[in-house]
Amino acid sequence: MTIEEFTKIVESYGSEAARWPAEQREQCRTFMASNTAASTLLNQQRELESLLNQITVPEFPTLESRVLNQQLPKQEASVLDRALAWLLPKNSFSQQLWRPAMLACLPLVFGIVIGNFFSFGIALENDSFAYWDDELTMLSLNEYTENSF
Amino acid sequence: MTDEELMMAVCRGDQRAYQTIVKQHLTSISHYAFRILGNQKDTEDITQEVFLKLWTNAPQWKPEKAKLTTWLHRITHNLCIDYLRKHGRMQTRESFEEETASFELNGADASNYKIKILNQALGQLPENQRSAITLCHYQGFSNKEAAAIMNISVKALESAVARAKRSLRNRLLEEDVKTEQPVENDKLGNGKSDSVESKQRREPG
Repeated sequence: MTIEEFTKIVESYGSEAARWPAEQREQCRTFMASNTAASTLLNQQRELESLLNQITVPEFPTLESRVLNQQLPKQEASVLDRALAWLLPKNSFSQQLWRPAMLACLPLVFGIVIGNFFSFGIALENDSFAYWDDELTMLSLNEYTENSF
Repeated sequence: MTDEELMMAVCRGDQRAYQTIVKQHLTSISHYAFRILGNQKDTEDITQEVFLKLWTNAPQWKPEKAKLTTWLHRITHNLCIDYLRKHGRMQTRESFEEETASFELNGADASNYKIKILNQALGQLPENQRSAITLCHYQGFSNKEAAAIMNISVKALESAVARAKRSLRNRLLEEDVKTEQPVENDKLGNGKSDSVESKQRREPG
């Protein structure tokens, strides 16, 4: 290690060895023990940090009430955000499973409903077969009637 | 309650959760803003705006990407930089000098004098260096977190911290030379101190 490398580490990470990069910490300690310039630099850094710690910030006695009492606008989440929040709730694991499953079933339910109400141009050829049981009876008699006549 | 739960409550419009977050982070945010802006009035305005942004932009916070304190410091940093750009650097320098002047009245010993000089030197640092040293030294962030707050690379942050510390250390050394000078003059009984003479000896011509 060179004094330049040691200086860079001390200036970038501070005088506390705990903040130095782990892989270089031991190397820095060994270098510091054998190099007077390094220990002088570290002492200067410690003095600087100690002086920096003595620069205090004034009190803001009214700030907390000012921030707490400020007028807050009404929270309005977008429709998409609300839908996503419902679909994938962050708290409950069980809800995270059944809500997407419910959503996945929606196309099936939708298909059944649509199929029940609309014929999509498929119509029965013979209006006399209005009921399925009538049609089934006719089909079952078909073979018999064909053979007997 | 965790930060995540509190923020979810804020997203739903829960004012109690908002109050809890304010109480947890107010000191840290106001101190950061003060160390960047250097005066009380602007610090209070910016801090108020930070928490208003917390309320309105709560859904934008991604817990998997950043801690709540990092996110709040980033908002504060951006607001402070915008403010300084809008109002110019001079105002901040004056503010630091006013604070320093009041400091001088409080104490007169050598250590206090050094602190005063250091405070003034901090105020004269470029914004990026002042932010870097504040985040790493005062706010206790790691270099990586501080870089994320300032939206710069870790290398750029380390360089800013190193330059800031070097210039502060040099300022203190300059001041040491100045304060030693009268003492040396008294001792020697002539008009020049050792340090000044040796400096002159080193200079060519």
